[in-house]
Amino acid sequence: MSRDGFTGFSRGEARTRTATSLSFETKGPLDKLMRLPWGFILLIVAMALTGIAMLYSSAHTNPAESHLWRLQLIRFGVCFVMMIALGLLPLSWWMRLAFPAYVGTIVLLVLVEVMGFSGGGAQRWLRVGPIGVQPSEFAKLAVTLALARYYQMVLQPQTGRILVHLGALAIMVIPAALIFIQPDFGTTLALLASGAVVIFLAGLSGRVILTGIVGGVASVWPIYQFVLAPYQRERVDTFLAQLFGGATNALGESYQIEQGKIAIGAGGLNGRGYLQGIQSQQDYVPEQHTDFILTVIAEEFGFIGTTALLIGFAVLLGWSLYSAGRSASWFGRLASAGATATIAFYIVFNVGMVLGLLPVVGMPLPLISYGGTAMLTTMACFGLILAAHMHRDEKLTARGLF
Amino acid sequence: MSNKKTADLDFAFSRRTAIAGAAGGLVWAGLVARLFQLQILEQEQYRQQAEANHIKLQLAPPQRGRILDRFGRPLASHRRAGRVSVIPEQTDDPERTLAQIAELIEIPDDKLERLANDIRYNRRRNAAFVPVTIANELTYEDFARMNVHEAEIPGLNVEMALTRSYPRGRDFAHVLGYVARASQDDLTRLSDGMTGKEAETLKTMFRHPDMRTGRQGMERFAEEWLRGKPGYRKLVTNAHGRIIEEIPDERLAPMPGRDLFVTIDSDLQRVAIERFAGESGAAVVLDIETGDVLAMVSTPAFDPNDFVNGISSAAYAELRDDSRSPLYPRAHGGVYPPGSTFKMVVATAALEAGVIKPEERVHCNRYYHFGNRTWHCWKHGGHGSVNMHQAIKGSCDVYFYEIARRTGVDKIAETAHKFGFGESWVLGMTGGRSGLVPDREWKQRVRKENWYEGETLNFGIGQGQLGVTPLQLALMTARIAREGKPFKPRMIGIGPQSDVDQVLDAPLEQDIMARMKAGMYGVTSEGGGTAYRSGDLGLGGPRLAGKTGTAQVRRITREERASGIRKGENIARELRDHALFVAYAPADDPKYAISVIVEHGEGGSSTAGPVARDILHYALKTDSRRKPSYSQSASLSPNLSDEGEPT
Repeated sequence: MSRDGFTGFSRGEARTRTATSLSFETKGPLDKLMRLPWGFILLIVAMALTGIAMLYSSAHTNPAESHLWRLQLIRFGVCFVMMIALGLLPLSWWMRLAFPAYVGTIVLLVLVEVMGFSGGGAQRWLRVGPIGVQPSEFAKLAVTLALARYYQMVLQPQTGRILVHLGALAIMVIPAALIFIQPDFGTTLALLASGAVVIFLAGLSGRVILTGIVGGVASVWPIYQFVLAPYQRERVDTFLAQLFGGATNALGESYQIEQGKIAIGAGGLNGRGYLQGIQSQQDYVPEQHTDFILTVIAEEFGFIGTTALLIGFAVLLGWSLYSAGRSASWFGRLASAGATATIAFYIVFNVGMVLGLLPVVGMPLPLISYGGTAMLTTMACFGLILAAHMHRDEKLTARGLF
Repeated sequence: MSNKKTADLDFAFSRRTAIAGAAGGLVWAGLVARLFQLQILEQEQYRQQAEANHIKLQLAPPQRGRILDRFGRPLASHRRAGRVSVIPEQTDDPERTLAQIAELIEIPDDKLERLANDIRYNRRRNAAFVPVTIANELTYEDFARMNVHEAEIPGLNVEMALTRSYPRGRDFAHVLGYVARASQDDLTRLSDGMTGKEAETLKTMFRHPDMRTGRQGMERFAEEWLRGKPGYRKLVTNAHGRIIEEIPDERLAPMPGRDLFVTIDSDLQRVAIERFAGESGAAVVLDIETGDVLAMVSTPAFDPNDFVNGISSAAYAELRDDSRSPLYPRAHGGVYPPGSTFKMVVATAALEAGVIKPEERVHCNRYYHFGNRTWHCWKHGGHGSVNMHQAIKGSCDVYFYEIARRTGVDKIAETAHKFGFGESWVLGMTGGRSGLVPDREWKQRVRKENWYEGETLNFGIGQGQLGVTPLQLALMTARIAREGKPFKPRMIGIGPQSDVDQVLDAPLEQDIMARMKAGMYGVTSEGGGTAYRSGDLGLGGPRLAGKTGTAQVRRITREERASGIRKGENIARELRDHALFVAYAPADDPKYAISVIVEHGEGGSSTAGPVARDILHYALKTDSRRKPSYSQSASLSPNLSDEGEPT
């Protein structure tokens, strides 16, 4: 068996493959390419193409936006090649890159504070030549890599020691704090959440986790009261009001959520059909081609289509998590699982926000939403997952920092 | 590192991935559950909100009812007129678009600038899809030319709109009035007594470029009858309010206004106007039997078509300052001294009061002395000894000085009211005036003076304070012709009736009225009659009976009376007397009553009489009341097609 389907193989099959994969070094790059989990990759492509089709649907009536789908297609093509390349990169390379990438990201985040420019009310962007980049997006991947690298370095003999996890917490909190002051509450939360998943998977004791949850819940009110900026507090207020059916100003802050919900609800079971969404085609939902793209899918393809999309994501994430568990090295396991968690939280935050279950945090829907940086991060995460999968048997010996 | 520890760690990791996966699964299930709630359970609610979101109801104006003459010929209808507008969002360069349009149709430079500003303004306030009207009334050639070029000029929009049209032009200006865009004053007046919501709907409706409201005349009087009820257009719009498409819905269609039939015969009206041959004046023709107003002429007049799209201030000033007052509704709003045409009223009052017997004679030697003043009869040398019949026939002033003095002002005034004087007759028009029938009480109240007996003498020959309208004179004539039977004039055949207009049913003795008729017959048909020449209608039999009148525009000076020069080329036109004539015909079986006034026409018998005779001639010849009309034929189609091409 030279190829994986990404589903439906047993532990036994995996072992057989382990035996064959030991000799991959000798068989050349083409063979390695062939052994990529193509089913998984095809699902990624299918979902990205769905996203581009939806982008066309939401923007084709607006002359200023009607060309965006082509741009997104090109971006996806470039990112796709990058993902495959990253997936073929041995884990030892990834490991060597981990800490420098982390440090570099911290430097970029500090630079954003000093000389970045603003977009959408927050200072998130840094100009590199002709393009603007958001270092906070890179931070998600960098923190995951750094955490995995850290645990790879320290974990083996002293598992279970709480102090070990304190180092991981520091790795996670420093960039999180820098992102928070931009301010970008959503990315901060996503970063902390996926970091927490990594720490959880690395074996933090149950008691500490319980304490953390209690502490987290207890800190909700103080954070709301003292840490959040007024506009962030307003969003939370709006969110709570609409969640509990209170009166909201339909033309004010909650307009977007309300119009989004109308689009989703009006979709019904089957949806109105592709390019037939009334809300979607007539500009009722702001930011519909970026963060609120799900409303187009929900209106035009209904409950069936939206659920299919969520199932697609679930399959991608489930396989990724499963693949992480089969990695021989801690680095491979945790990096892959961290990348999976990063994508998972993107999805949860975005879908929860669009469905009115979470406050508006400004998170794109991976593979579907329009946007270059998010596409890059998502595809890099998938690249990392692929790399961990391809090199799951690679023995990692590095104990130092590089 | 022992293998066991590693295995433990591996096991712990597997367990924790399983927990993480399960937690993720729970979250996913939660998301799907929420989707289920929104898309399946609450679907109906959101569908309705989506409908409400994008379907907008736009008030659609009703089509105004037409005004038709008694035979269903349109007097006020609709004309399709080409309209050119620019849709701001479809052009990048408003100036260039306007310049291109200006090459095809004429637009004044200052207007061009204003239009460019309007276009830019609409773009700025996010209403770039609201068209800016460039020209309302395209000629047929302009419309055709614009249509050809519509595709190649960005933003140009050429369409047909319905415009109020008065096919008879000036003929009915004072009867129909005209429509105009509703001003703030109009809206305040029209919404009087409405609830806030109704008033809001009304205002919204009148904002539509096709909506007009009656500003004057019957258009104003019958506003509600003609207006109809607005409907709605069901429009699909996007989030910015731009119209994507229209969904037809019969139930929402506007209810067009009702057509209105007037009693006027538009051909008779035309003949009457032509007969004035450019002279200023008025004429009213009544059907004696039914009370129908068959003609209501006031000339010169204005063209109401000029007002429909707003008249320029220069053109309006020209009308307003015209010395011949085309805006003045003479027939029902013009107040004149009736002169000798009033003598039947005075005679009736005297007979009613019993101060004189019909055969009693009064001697006229041209002079009548009263107090320390002398009054004159119009006839040099006087009439000699005259009874009532001869006095009416010869219009002897001295006779009427005498009987007026005997009768007294209050009795004459009372009788005058029985004939319809001193009251305003609306008949569905605006601008009607009551004139003035003076009496002691009026003088005391208004002038704070006692009534002088001398004034009664002037009253006796229809001069002095007395003021009447041509319409009132026609009513008087009709009452005489009917020998006192009640009479109700009307001008709206099918339409809203005026509750102000009263039936003329105050008792008038038949034998007195018969004497008046005999006197009027004498005027036109017996030797010594003041209008002997006008009596024959030229129809080989029927004659008319009438009475001449001359209304002094100013007091006659002693010098003029001495020199005898107060006519013709010797004095300025606007100082010459008005000529009046009232008549009915045929004399033996009255069907039509008429009153005619020719301003500054000088002689009732020489100018007004022939006009009246010719109008009656036409009326009798065509005998329009014998033909089927609105009141006799319900099958008369109210929807005669009269939409013309753009002019």
